[in-house]
Amino acid sequence: MKPVLDWIFERTGIDRVWEALMERHIPEAEGSVSWLYTLGSAAMFVFTVQAVTGALLAMNYVPSPDHAYDSVKFIGDKVILGGFIRGLHHWGASFMVVIVVLHFMRTYFMGAYKYPREGTWMVGIALLGVVIGFGFTGYLLPWDQKAYWATMVGTNIAGQTPFVGPIISKILKGGVDMGAATLTRFYAIHVLILPAIIGILIGAHLFLVVWHGISEPPQRAKPSDGQEKP
Amino acid sequence: MSDWHEAYRRRYKEAKERGVSFFPYAVVKDVFMALLVLCALSYLAIHFGAGLEDVADPTDTTYNPRPEWYFLFMFQALKAFPGNLEPLAAVILPGVVVTLLFFLPFLDRGPKRHPFDRPLITGLGVLGLLMVSYLTYAGAKAPLLNPVVERDPVVESGARLYRDLNCAYCHRIGRKGGGVGPELDRVAPQETEEWLIKHFRDPRSVTPGSTMPQLHLLDDEVKALAAYMKSLGGGEPYSPEAPKLFAANCAVCHKIGKEGGEVGPDLSLIGSARDKAYIRRYVTDPALVNPSSAMPNFKDQLTGTQIEDIARYLSSLGR
Ligand code: HEM
Repeated sequence: MKPVLDWIFERTGIDRVWEALMERHIPEAEGSVSWLYTLGSAAMFVFTVQAVTGALLAMNYVPSPDHAYDSVKFIGDKVILGGFIRGLHHWGASFMVVIVVLHFMRTYFMGAYKYPREGTWMVGIALLGVVIGFGFTGYLLPWDQKAYWATMVGTNIAGQTPFVGPIISKILKGGVDMGAATLTRFYAIHVLILPAIIGILIGAHLFLVVWHGISEPPQRAKPSDGQEKP
Repeated sequence: MSDWHEAYRRRYKEAKERGVSFFPYAVVKDVFMALLVLCALSYLAIHFGAGLEDVADPTDTTYNPRPEWYFLFMFQALKAFPGNLEPLAAVILPGVVVTLLFFLPFLDRGPKRHPFDRPLITGLGVLGLLMVSYLTYAGAKAPLLNPVVERDPVVESGARLYRDLNCAYCHRIGRKGGGVGPELDRVAPQETEEWLIKHFRDPRSVTPGSTMPQLHLLDDEVKALAAYMKSLGGGEPYSPEAPKLFAANCAVCHKIGKEGGEVGPDLSLIGSARDKAYIRRYVTDPALVNPSSAMPNFKDQLTGTQIEDIARYLSSLGR
């Protein structure tokens, strides 16, 4: 076994990657506080669930007003485990928002956005935007009443942006009215554009987290520890 | 500036040296958390699944739009900014908040990280959380704009047929569709059900020379289409509660048919004289419409939804 592993390690450097990622030292956090540090990886886990269930759903989903609803019904009624997979994706979307917001709160209240982690934070805010974008575009896809009318409200809100509103709403809807063009647009954004963006952003976010090291739990400032500005 | 950066780096390095290896210390917790999340997700997916309502109907103006719950607070905030101020709540305010958050690391810069050492930031954060929670709660509790109406399943299947057969290629409903055939919400409800059924079996049997193709439908389908056509002209639907609300609140003074008091005018045919908006305003506060009216106002007794429901019911009478 060992020679085989050594051979692989020498050709790929996986052992060094493992060392750098997994055996790096991090500051110790106490008891319950340490659990707050799991929220980021939990967000990543739910994202993986969304990617897998989303890919499975895409195998039977048809993004056209004539067939979208029926294809979703078909997934629920006929596809093996289809209802379960749809359920996972549906609840996963809510979980994603909840967990990412909790993670956002933990970094906000712990001041984890401060030097040197400003970049990590800004990428994080962009990620928050992408997560919300996923929710908004995904909600339309079943093409039921709830989907249609909520999206109508949403695109109208976007249309109220001063100056550029009407253009934004037109781009989102693919025209003046909501219809086939809206659905294909939302679908493309949901399954092609946003996944590409979130992939890049998560990559950057994680790189920065490892590069700077995870922040230590904050302690009350004391004049002696350099936390007070001289 | 970078004076404390140095100090921070030194302190962080020490904390790390005193610290632990990422694996397994953090990984174990991460995996445990992931499993917990997976269990919760599977439970919800199995027990509640993902709902599916009726297929989207762009002509249905009575549906109560509800955003996904995590957008509810914005939806609710919008209600506090009517008319010209709406863009303020819809776009400008959220835009400002997001921009401030994005640049937060440059606004809150010192070395202090503990929440109690940063009372302003912590306070703003707590305030924001409270506001979003309150708005979400208020949004969830807010009465629906439109009364919830049970739709006739026969009419529903007629509406589906209308879509499946692509009738909108030639016909318009609610000004949506093609211009070859007549505008259905104007003409179709005037016809008798019998006429409609004959028409759907063979258009030329009732309209000689009609260019509409024969549809070859089953009996049930013909009936469903006819029911859908008849439903088009009926104004906005009211709930079964509406007549009961009338009986409980209005019938002391007003008559519909043979039932009711004589203090106020007989309302049996009110729909032929007044439209829904007028009736709603009148019931809400008669003094606004007719300062000498002796009728009490109902804006404190009934909710907006209930008044809307009654107004729909009354505007359907006598039409
Ligand atoms: C898809 C969404 C996101 C994913 C997958 C993600 C993932 C992660 C992970 C795995 C960590 C490691 C430490 C931890 O878990 O706490 C982390 C750290 C961090 N995240 Fe995120 N994150 C996301 C969104 C956000 C958002 C919305 C923000 C805030 C605006 C944010 C800001 C930060 C910051 C500042 C750190 C460094 C924390 C520290 O060093 O203590 N992230 N993120």
